Amino acid sequence: MLRTIQEWIMVFIIVGLITLVGNWIGYSVMPVKAIPGIIVLILISLAGLVLDKVLPFKVPAIAYISIIAIIVSMPGVPGSEQVVKWTTDVNLLAITTPILAYAGIAIGRSWADFAKLGWRSIIVGMLVLFGTYLGSAVIAEFILRIQGII
Amino acid sequence: MNLWKDWRLHVVVLGIVIVTELIGTHKVSIGSGVILLLPMLYAIIIGLGVFFTPVVKEKQSKNAETLVFLAVSLLMAKFGVTIGPAVNTILEVGPALILQELGHLATLLIALPVAVLLGLKRESIGMTHSIGREPNVALIMDKYGLNSPEGRGVMSIYIFGTIFGAVFLGLISGILATITPLHPLAFAMASGVGSGSMMAAASGSLVSAFPNLEKDIVALAGASNLISTATGLYVSIFIALPLTEKFYAFLTKFRDKKTASKVKVEG
Repeated sequence: MLRTIQEWIMVFIIVGLITLVGNWIGYSVMPVKAIPGIIVLILISLAGLVLDKVLPFKVPAIAYISIIAIIVSMPGVPGSEQVVKWTTDVNLLAITTPILAYAGIAIGRSWADFAKLGWRSIIVGMLVLFGTYLGSAVIAEFILRIQGII
Repeated sequence: MNLWKDWRLHVVVLGIVIVTELIGTHKVSIGSGVILLLPMLYAIIIGLGVFFTPVVKEKQSKNAETLVFLAVSLLMAKFGVTIGPAVNTILEVGPALILQELGHLATLLIALPVAVLLGLKRESIGMTHSIGREPNVALIMDKYGLNSPEGRGVMSIYIFGTIFGAVFLGLISGILATITPLHPLAFAMASGVGSGSMMAAASGSLVSAFPNLEKDIVALAGASNLISTATGLYVSIFIALPLTEKFYAFLTKFRDKKTASKVKVEG
């Protein structure tokens, strides 16, 4: 357990440093300014991962992480203003870029299967977006009519 | 495991991040939609390209998979701290916006039968359980792994959405709002699919089609997107993914039976 947590911390420090570099080049935030924010995000992630190991519920670790992050940034929670202020300096897209670089290297191993999906994933992809958009609009129309707004 | 000691992998990723952030974001306008070319998009393509060079070996690719799972935690934390401060707004805009989220389930009802019909196997579960944005990718990776059929499915929709999502929604939003009898404000709520660029494109075409409703359209789209971001993951975990699994089992039972009887007749 302790070895695993140590491993997590080292990984988060490395990914955090890469994020700070991207945040600097792409979004002009000096790394020193973004350090408190990245530390807060690392602590929230660690807390979520530890809870996932300790608690018996069958909930994905990312759910714990999201819930902890929402609670510590909610208005009225002590220190939430600091949390929000610090994490604002870490751009969302600066976190996404290194993750997708790792993901690109990882999906290389399954590229053959991935390419097989080909044109079919484009058709399904269009239907996925179409379904969400039209489905939500139909329900919204229904409720807005009940409420007498339209 | 000693993932953090894989310096070769981390240096390659640092290099990719520096190059892609230096290239920066570019926009290509097509009609009322915009194709957004973002650093993260170049990053996944360069990462994939690097896999086929001697710089990265099988070991790095395996380590990268576990690293994606850990790094995604940081992204989830970032989403969370963005939602927290807006909790009051979310409560204010009321249940109408929340119920409209169930419309996302229409995705699997429309897209899953077609995916199964096209001969896709368990990939179709990852593809159609949601619109496949970051939280959904994280969920599928957590549950099935990135190199599983479900993982490949969700990644293919993620890449499709990243490249074509905004322009596709921008185009169909204008078309649907003008050809269907549904109210533009209903489409405004639907525009908040949980992706900033997609919401901007979809609500942008609505505004140009109905300029007198501009303020209402923008307000409803923004609030809905906030709620999609806040609830999308939980709708996926507790409703959409279990429902997709059941619907997939039902559809494939039907398909397999048909194939089996065909074989029998032919034999």
